[in-house]
Amino acid sequence: MMRHIALAALALSVMLPPTAHADEVSLQAEVDALRTEVAALKDEVRQMHKAPATTPAPAVGAVASPSSAVVNAAATPQAVANAENTGTTLWGYGQLDYNRPTAHAADAQADLRRAVIGFSHGFDENTRVYGELEWEHAVTSANDRGETEVEQLYIEHALAPSYGVRAGLMLVPLGLLNEHHEPTQFYGVERNFVETAIIPSTWREGGVAGYGSTDSGLIWNIGVGTGPDLGKWDAASTDGQQSPLASIHQELQLARARDPSLFGALNWQGVPGLNVGGGIFTGKIGQGTPQFPADNARVFLGEAHVRWQPGPFDFSALYTRGTISDTQALNASFAGQPTPVPKSFWGGYAQAAWRALTWNQSSLAPFLRYEMFNTGATYAAQPQGLGTPPLPTERVWTLGANYYLNPNVVFKIDYQNFNRDDLALGYGDRFDLGIGYQF
Amino acid sequence: MYLRWLIPLGTGVAAVAQIAHAAQYMTIEQAQRAAFPAATTFAPAHAVLDAATMATLAAPAGWAPQIWQARSGDNQILGWIMEDRVIGKSEAITYALALDTNGAVLALEILDYREAHGGEIRIPAWRRQFVGKTARDPVTLNRDIKNISGATLSCRHITEGVQRLLQVYARTLRTKSPD
Repeated sequence: MMRHIALAALALSVMLPPTAHADEVSLQAEVDALRTEVAALKDEVRQMHKAPATTPAPAVGAVASPSSAVVNAAATPQAVANAENTGTTLWGYGQLDYNRPTAHAADAQADLRRAVIGFSHGFDENTRVYGELEWEHAVTSANDRGETEVEQLYIEHALAPSYGVRAGLMLVPLGLLNEHHEPTQFYGVERNFVETAIIPSTWREGGVAGYGSTDSGLIWNIGVGTGPDLGKWDAASTDGQQSPLASIHQELQLARARDPSLFGALNWQGVPGLNVGGGIFTGKIGQGTPQFPADNARVFLGEAHVRWQPGPFDFSALYTRGTISDTQALNASFAGQPTPVPKSFWGGYAQAAWRALTWNQSSLAPFLRYEMFNTGATYAAQPQGLGTPPLPTERVWTLGANYYLNPNVVFKIDYQNFNRDDLALGYGDRFDLGIGYQF
Repeated sequence: MYLRWLIPLGTGVAAVAQIAHAAQYMTIEQAQRAAFPAATTFAPAHAVLDAATMATLAAPAGWAPQIWQARSGDNQILGWIMEDRVIGKSEAITYALALDTNGAVLALEILDYREAHGGEIRIPAWRRQFVGKTARDPVTLNRDIKNISGATLSCRHITEGVQRLLQVYARTLRTKSPD
């Protein structure tokens, strides 16, 4: 460090703009001589640091005097970067929500929806572990309703600059929100319904995946892993109406894993500001339960999306549809209960946002979103009189604004209008306020 | 049924077996040669920034880009190339910015990227947006530089970094006489 300070001082003394010297020419010659000397010294320092770079080489600019800084070539940034590649970093995000149903003010609720701490640690240049730990609803104990979760935990190994493999608990790469669910990344206090009820964000599975991108802007991700467990279906509860897949996902919690699932996603970002893509997830979800009437049941979920961000505008649209096969016998065993397993479910939305005002680090972005979704669009045929009618399609308008105090701190407000109220499912016109951050 | 698991696992293991050097996409020397194929020397250069300028640039602590002047065999200045680092989401991204003699961007190259997500900034179509930009352009995300959804932080921080380097050129290098 002393060496660097000395070097910086020397460099500074050389670089400070000359003031009232008369003999500019001789001064220039002197400066040139010193510059050569400094360059030689720098080489020496660099050589010294090429040895085990245990301490990151600080840059000269970092120890500059209060009056000026010299931006130059003294450090070995590669050594710094490599040191960081094998270091540990922390990040996080959080979301606090207030929901006030306009017709049922007594149901108004304020909630610390989630607080997340993320970490990554590089074991070497190509291998790192990446994890996120999450607390939902503020307090977790036997008497409270909060949850503590490991949201992601995987090893990533880069095989080449443009592709690699991941293994562990990973986010399923479907939709626009599941992989990018930080509150600063989406409009509105709550995540949209389609990517909550149909694509059950935050959806993760344990497994192995390959990922990569091409120079033409294609980004791919394909993997095999665990899947939902249809044996968890609770026909007596409305969970399956709220989100069929969220009610049977396993989150790698002692996950039943006889039947592997496959997933794949492809996105194209070859034109700046445009993202066109889609993904699929499929797997058997009977998991080999003895005597289970839907042992051959298979889930399929597909989605397609587009997001276009021209200038201050941000447009996105997504459509997704899922099916669960071979549920006839299982649903027959649920006769009389409110929530049989759907044969198909779907949803879609279109959203437009406009960064209307920007000042310093702040911006204000009003948005409008229209969603349609149905978590029980069809049910497997049953004998006359025992069948279940399809659920009505829910339609939601959301009008609101994200106010970014800076790009990483957001305050949100919106109003949501539902075409059909359903208190049990939380559907009903409401007014929402939210706070979100990310670091 | 168990065999189904073995296929992708086997593929993964086979791929791991042929380990490549992954962290670095390009060395600064490669970036120098790519941006200035006619150059014969890359002379380390210096820029002096006063505290007020540093504050204006909102430079992070320890900010220390490296600068080289590209010169041809007959000692003509061909332009400048700068190597700098920014933080993506949580990890450092090292990149190189090449400027012509008018201070307009010739190329932006990502040298090193270690983030688990957001590597899409390496896509050439995104980086080409910077070509031709000068210190007089806003060089601001979602204004003259379009975002990559899913890589917002990387895009924002690289864009801010390029804007700073363009200011370094405008405030110091532009008026600098050849050494």
